[in-house]
Amino acid sequence: MFSKYKKFISGSDDSSLKSDNKAGIFEPSLQSAVIGAGVTIEGQVISHEDMVIAGEVRGAVIAKNHHIHIATSGIVKADITAKIISVEGTVTGNVTGLERVIITATSNVQGNIECPRVTLEDGAKFKGSIEMNPGEPTQSILPIFPVTSVKKRSSSARSDQIGAKAS
Amino acid sequence: MPQPPIQPKTTSLQQAPKLLPSALLAELLERIDTDKRLVVLDMGHAMASTVRFFGEYRCQLNFIDLYAEQFILTPDPELTHSQRVAAMREALNLAPSAKIDICLFWDIFNYLDDAHTKALIEVLEPHISTATGALVINPRDSRHYLPFYRYGIADQDNFMQVESTGTQPTIFARSQRDLNNLVDYFAIDRGRLISEGRAEYLLFENRNIDKTDRSMI
Repeated sequence: MFSKYKKFISGSDDSSLKSDNKAGIFEPSLQSAVIGAGVTIEGQVISHEDMVIAGEVRGAVIAKNHHIHIATSGIVKADITAKIISVEGTVTGNVTGLERVIITATSNVQGNIECPRVTLEDGAKFKGSIEMNPGEPTQSILPIFPVTSVKKRSSSARSDQIGAKAS
Repeated sequence: MPQPPIQPKTTSLQQAPKLLPSALLAELLERIDTDKRLVVLDMGHAMASTVRFFGEYRCQLNFIDLYAEQFILTPDPELTHSQRVAAMREALNLAPSAKIDICLFWDIFNYLDDAHTKALIEVLEPHISTATGALVINPRDSRHYLPFYRYGIADQDNFMQVESTGTQPTIFARSQRDLNNLVDYFAIDRGRLISEGRAEYLLFENRNIDKTDRSMI
C-alpha cells in the first residue's frame, strides 16, 4: 500500500527510509501517512500514526505516540512534537521529541530541540539549542499555534556560583 | 602593534574527523559543577561527537556557528561599534537570563578583528559568571599558521577536528598576551601546546587579574 506513495516522496532515496532499527531512521509501515512532495499544508497537523513529510508544512505537527520523518524533500516551518522525530530535510521551528530525535547528515535544522536522546550526524546543518536530559523523558509539550518565525532561544538555566581557581 | 591579516587558503575535500588530544578539557570539567544542568555555548558548527559527549549530561547545548556569519565571511569595516554589537547579539541569540557554564570558543578569535572581538565579549558579559569556563584554540604565537579546522569534543581527553571546506576567512593572528587583553573579564588560566603550531587555553572569568604579565608570549 505504501509503495504507491513512494513516487511522491521525491528526494527520499529508499535507503533512507528503511531502518528504524539501527540509526533510528524511519521505516514506513502500512499505517504510515504521507504528505507528498507536491503538497503544502498550512495549519495544525495531528497524526495518530507514523508519518512521512516529503512536502511542505507550515504551522504545527503533533504525533505524541508516533514517529514523524521529514524526508529530504520535506520542508517544515513549524513546531514538531512527536515520540520520535527524524529529519533528512529542512526544519525551521522547535522540535520536541518525547523519546528520540535524529538529525541526519542531509538535514538543515534551525530551532531548538528538546529530547532525552538526540543524535546528530556529521554534515547536518544545525543552528540552535539542544536540551538533553538522559535521565528523564521529556515532559513538556510545546504550545500549539501557527508559527510565524523561529522563536528566540530560551534558557531558564541558572548558574550556581562556584569558585574558579584562576590564578 | 596589530599583525596584518594572513592570506586565506581554500580547501575542497573534507577529511575524516581526527582526534586532537586535549589536556585542558578534563580540567575544565573538573572545575565546574557537572551535576547540575549545564549550559554550553559552542561557537562552532554542530558536530556529532559534541552532541554525543554532552548527551551524557543534563544540559542545554547551543550551537552558534559564528563562522558562518556575514561579519566573518564578508566583514564590513564601516560598521559602528553599536552595529557590530547588534549583529553579534543577533547571532548569539541568547535569552537575557541565560548563564553560560562552558563556552567553547575554539579558534573563533582568529577570525574576528579586534572590534568584533570586543563586540563579542561585550555581548557575552551578562551571561558570564565566576563559574564560567572557556576553551580557546590559538596559534602558539602570531607567526604560526592557523590550520583550517572545525572542532568538537570526542571525550574528556580529546577534541575532534575535521578539516573545513571552502575558503578560510581572513585570519587575525594575535599573541597570547594580546588575546588575553582583548578578552577583558576572561583571563587565560593556563595553556598547553598542541599539534600543528597551536595552543589550547583554558579561560575563566577573572576581573581582578593583573594582565600586564610580561611572561606571556
